[in-house]
Amino acid sequence: MSIANLQDQNKLIRAGNRSGGRLQILSTETKKPDDRMADGENDHQRFARLVLPHLDDAYSLARWITANRADAEDVVQDASLRAFRAIANVAEGNSRAWVLTIVRNTAYTWLRKNRPSALVVVDDLEAVESAQVAAADLDRETPETALIAKADAASLEAAIAELPPTYRETLILRDVQGLGYREISQVTGVPIGTVMSRLARGRTRIMKTIARKSS
Amino acid sequence: MMRAASFEDATLRVHAYVDGELDPANALGVEASLAGDPALAAEHERIEAFRRLVRERLPREAPPLGLRTRVEAAVGMRHPRVQPSWRALAASIAVTAILTSGATSMVVAPSQVNATREGIVDAHIRSLMASQPIDVASSDRHTVKPWFNGRIPQAPRVVDLGKNDFPLVGGRIDVVGATPVPTLVYGHGKHLISLTAVPAASQANSVPSLSEAGGYNIFRWTEDGVAYWAISDASTTELDKFAELFRTTPPNQ
Repeated sequence: MSIANLQDQNKLIRAGNRSGGRLQILSTETKKPDDRMADGENDHQRFARLVLPHLDDAYSLARWITANRADAEDVVQDASLRAFRAIANVAEGNSRAWVLTIVRNTAYTWLRKNRPSALVVVDDLEAVESAQVAAADLDRETPETALIAKADAASLEAAIAELPPTYRETLILRDVQGLGYREISQVTGVPIGTVMSRLARGRTRIMKTIARKSS
Repeated sequence: MMRAASFEDATLRVHAYVDGELDPANALGVEASLAGDPALAAEHERIEAFRRLVRERLPREAPPLGLRTRVEAAVGMRHPRVQPSWRALAASIAVTAILTSGATSMVVAPSQVNATREGIVDAHIRSLMASQPIDVASSDRHTVKPWFNGRIPQAPRVVDLGKNDFPLVGGRIDVVGATPVPTLVYGHGKHLISLTAVPAASQANSVPSLSEAGGYNIFRWTEDGVAYWAISDASTTELDKFAELFRTTPPNQ
């Protein structure tokens, strides 16, 4: 089976797994204004309930994407405003995935506008990705488990920061923030098969980097 | 190459297995492969070691202390002590300008107007939090206007907009700066509109201009030495309509 076939990996994933039932929020389903009024909840209360609990995750994702604390704060503020403007029309459900989706898109828009040098990487990503796969991942040398286990925080952080943006965001969403594949697929807007291959390659890349640096 | 491709695919399944993403049948399949393929089993160990490493050693960085406050201020949940960053401000002005294009003009208000605006917003928010947004409850302007007469030097112009879907709810006295000013409260659907009349003897007449503060829409206009401030969470279109009706409806109707 080739990499292209991995788009079908959907089938592998447990039907209706733990994230399956909570994704309505990402669909186009919207709340009628009347429902909202009936709840007696205004936009600010709704924002406090659906968005504010995810600020830590939002900041963490923004910081990993922008690689800069001040930028991450600006991105989170901007993303919060966007979320607030849409708050009346968003359905109940997976608010975390919804917030992270907005943060991610805001972060890339922000990079495009304020740091166009990062843009090349983001826009040409698919091409860059396949080129890099050929170069880096055909190296079949496997790192030793012991070297991975004893890596320190700084080299781990550095290795994550070195990843191409799509690998990095996938890895952060999964290994730091604990999202399921299906949620990551929603947040990053790619099929589950792509999530799987990016995650596997990102992890492998990091393992090789830290093993190389500590050996 | 065939071998490489299928090994990579098997590796993906191991990742999915470690992540608990496989259905039971595929999970069993992976476990069988691990038992029969040392290379794959080694990969499994590495992935587990990596997951442990991230879980135990990657520092979690809490957001800066002010972030929540900043976000709450940006969406109008609290009154910002410091102005939000100029970027966010510029963004909201851009939105405002689009909303108001044509009908009204954006006015960069001097600091005194800003101070008044803050007072108006505060009073409106306070009134929404109180059990009653009004001190005198009446849909009859002949009740509301005399009520003001006994309390402040100049009673506001009170017009009846009930037939236009903006029924008069009542009135109250707000204190803006150190000045007691009359506020009329109108309803519109589920929204309340506070209309405050601030003496502005020296100011020329002006048409309504839109601003936004604390998440509320505000229209301000000046007529016959009085600055009118209409504030609400109603949409700009509805509030614009209200301002227009209020200005054009004679009080004796």
